[in-house]
Amino acid sequence: MDKIKQFILPKPITLGNGKVVQPKMSPAIYVVPILAFITIYSVNLTKFKLETLFRRGYQFFVILDGMIPPNFAYFDKVWAPLVATIMMSVIGTLVGSILALPAAYLSSENMMKSKFVKFITKAFFSVVRTFPILVLALLFRIIFGIGAFAGTMAIGVFTFTIMTKMFYELIDTADMGPFEAIMSSGASRIQAFWSAIMPQLWGQYYSLILYNFEMNIRNAAVLGYVGAGGIGIILNERLGWRLYPDVGLILLVMMVTVYLIETLSRTIRKNLL
Amino acid sequence: MSTQNTRVQEQLSKQPKVLWRNILVFGISAVIILFSLDYINYRGLTETGVEIAFNILKSVFTPNLPFLLNFTTKTGVPYLILETAAIAFLGTIIGSIISIPLAFLSSRNIVPAWFTHIGVAMITVIRTFPAVVYGLMFIRVTGPGAFTGVLTLAIASVGMVSKLFIETIEELDPGIIEALDASGCSGIQKVQYGIIPQLLSNFLSTAIYRFEINVKYATILGMVGAGGIGAPLIFAINAYRWGDAGALLIGLIIFVLIVEAISTFLRKKLA
Amino acid sequence: MIQFQNVVKTYPNGVKALKGINLEVQQGEFVAIIGLSGAGKSTLLRSINQMHTITEGKLLVNGVDVSTLKGKSLRRFRRDIGMVFQSFNLVKRTSVIKNVLAARVADMPLWMSLLGLYTKKDKIIALEALDQVGILEKAYTRADQLSGGQQQRVALARCVAQQPKIILADEPVASLDPVTSNQVMNDFVKINKELNITVIANMHHVDIALKFANRVIGIKEGLIVFDGPSSKVNNQILKEIYGRELSDDELMEH
Repeated sequence: MDKIKQFILPKPITLGNGKVVQPKMSPAIYVVPILAFITIYSVNLTKFKLETLFRRGYQFFVILDGMIPPNFAYFDKVWAPLVATIMMSVIGTLVGSILALPAAYLSSENMMKSKFVKFITKAFFSVVRTFPILVLALLFRIIFGIGAFAGTMAIGVFTFTIMTKMFYELIDTADMGPFEAIMSSGASRIQAFWSAIMPQLWGQYYSLILYNFEMNIRNAAVLGYVGAGGIGIILNERLGWRLYPDVGLILLVMMVTVYLIETLSRTIRKNLL
Repeated sequence: MSTQNTRVQEQLSKQPKVLWRNILVFGISAVIILFSLDYINYRGLTETGVEIAFNILKSVFTPNLPFLLNFTTKTGVPYLILETAAIAFLGTIIGSIISIPLAFLSSRNIVPAWFTHIGVAMITVIRTFPAVVYGLMFIRVTGPGAFTGVLTLAIASVGMVSKLFIETIEELDPGIIEALDASGCSGIQKVQYGIIPQLLSNFLSTAIYRFEINVKYATILGMVGAGGIGAPLIFAINAYRWGDAGALLIGLIIFVLIVEAISTFLRKKLA
Repeated sequence: MIQFQNVVKTYPNGVKALKGINLEVQQGEFVAIIGLSGAGKSTLLRSINQMHTITEGKLLVNGVDVSTLKGKSLRRFRRDIGMVFQSFNLVKRTSVIKNVLAARVADMPLWMSLLGLYTKKDKIIALEALDQVGILEKAYTRADQLSGGQQQRVALARCVAQQPKIILADEPVASLDPVTSNQVMNDFVKINKELNITVIANMHHVDIALKFANRVIGIKEGLIVFDGPSSKVNNQILKEIYGRELSDDELMEH
């Protein structure tokens, strides 16, 4: 046993004055083999075959080739789903962000004294946050029927959980001084929160909303796959029919939209902070 | 308190006139929202909508236990979770490996500024498309299944991972390299002792963070056919097999919570 | 009137911050409290508006037993007591007037304070408070663009806008330079005299305390060891309060 240890650990260093220093073992010694093992296991599990990739890889470029040039005539059919996608994101992000305010208040270490309430709220949100957005979209589509409303609800709930976490983290790092001052003047906790903490955070709050909006535009595009509205419906349809020029146009439109929205969002966010 | 104080009255009149600005902002927002509502088309709950909502809730609490706890065959929930984890893991690794050279070639402190634009443009284009789009495309290439999921996640990861890698690289402290240079280190030694320690922990942290995200995306990709827990989930839900759906959801929830906890723990240690 | 009757404050960890305080302060007095850090000055001050709760004894403010206050009655009670802090505690990103108006929210219904609907009367009260401390012209400036002394005066104006009967000040000028400290203390004196508001101030710097307050209370290890006019405070008494010679730190102007 000792011999093995001697073999694995780095050599001890003997200083001039006789002291012996035993350098620590680098974690790489167990991390690397574990990672290698997991990788090999995963390759087997997922039936990862480089050979297939090389053999069929050209198909990807066949598709790519079919998409260029895109079929610009298809644009009238793209317009309505595109607007629906954008609107879904706008409403979903807004509703989710507004509801996140009281939810974050209830989850915040600084604001809530009851450990029980904080625990319940945080636990609840953690669980809902684990749902991938497409699962939410599917569930809402079943409840509310096919169309953009289901998608909006999905984005709303999704944003709600994410914003709540991001925002209560902000609240917990805010300056509590003004809060103490307003409390000492006889205001209630909520009034003190609104008048002393929120003014510190508005800029960052709007910034978070825009950031989530950027993410949601991309998410909204795929919700159509489960029938929850937006551009995803026609994307899936055209891909299925192998009408690649149409697909190309849809992707082009997506690219331009995402780019415009990101640029707009970035400029506004720079001015907010 | 004298309200006749003219200086106070003067100041009162100087207050910033925000009324019109507020009305404008509120008005425009209201218009956008009302306009959107029209597009969104709320038709009320479907006939069975409420009933379905209840069933969904119920299902999470009354899952199909044999399905959930079937650790032996390939159709049990645990195996599906394992498959999902493997897809996410491999996708993250491959994506990160691809991102390393891409990021180096797009960092302003490694290559000249004009050259970085090429890489950055590529990354931006790749980043535009959600993973599902790549998934649908890759299915045409390598067929449905876990392998496709891995390839899709690899490409989908490149966008975010490269961007974060570039940030890490551009934040490299040249002072450390200078110090090593001054003490006479060779090029390779400078890389080994100056650059790699700074980069390694950040790269690992980024990869772990991306893995967390990829676990969720792996599920979504499964729904479009790329393997893992997503496909059985969408089938169960569409067929109203609530017991199975509940089992799958519970498996998913527990798995994601564990991954999140481990990820947060590891990233704290690396920071 | 504020009455301490054998007030004791023991913290959960056993530390006795106040060991039996007996004190009476009449309406309109200007009192300075001096003593070493940790002697109990802050605890004494903050028990008056129940920021700290006392464990034994009775604390009466204008006839009200402070320990019996909870919830709504506590908030009503705190309306009449203003507090000024060493670190100003302003919201840096908003304007001066918005900071002062925050003092009015306790009197407003929740929905109005959420929408920021201050009445004209509120705004006039706020502006007049700013006028009293002499920074009316900065009303619409952002708080973090002001100097330390100006910020503290905004904090004082915020108290005045509450229209309180008592103002508690916890080391209000400890972060300020000598010239500004004198200005701010002058404002305190002015508010005290013109509006007949009781001022109780914890003072870190003894010379400032003696200069501006007419009554001085010395606290040592949780007990009052001196209570009298500032004119009567001499080196002997200071040595007793501080247990040693005063260090340069405790003198603003040396």
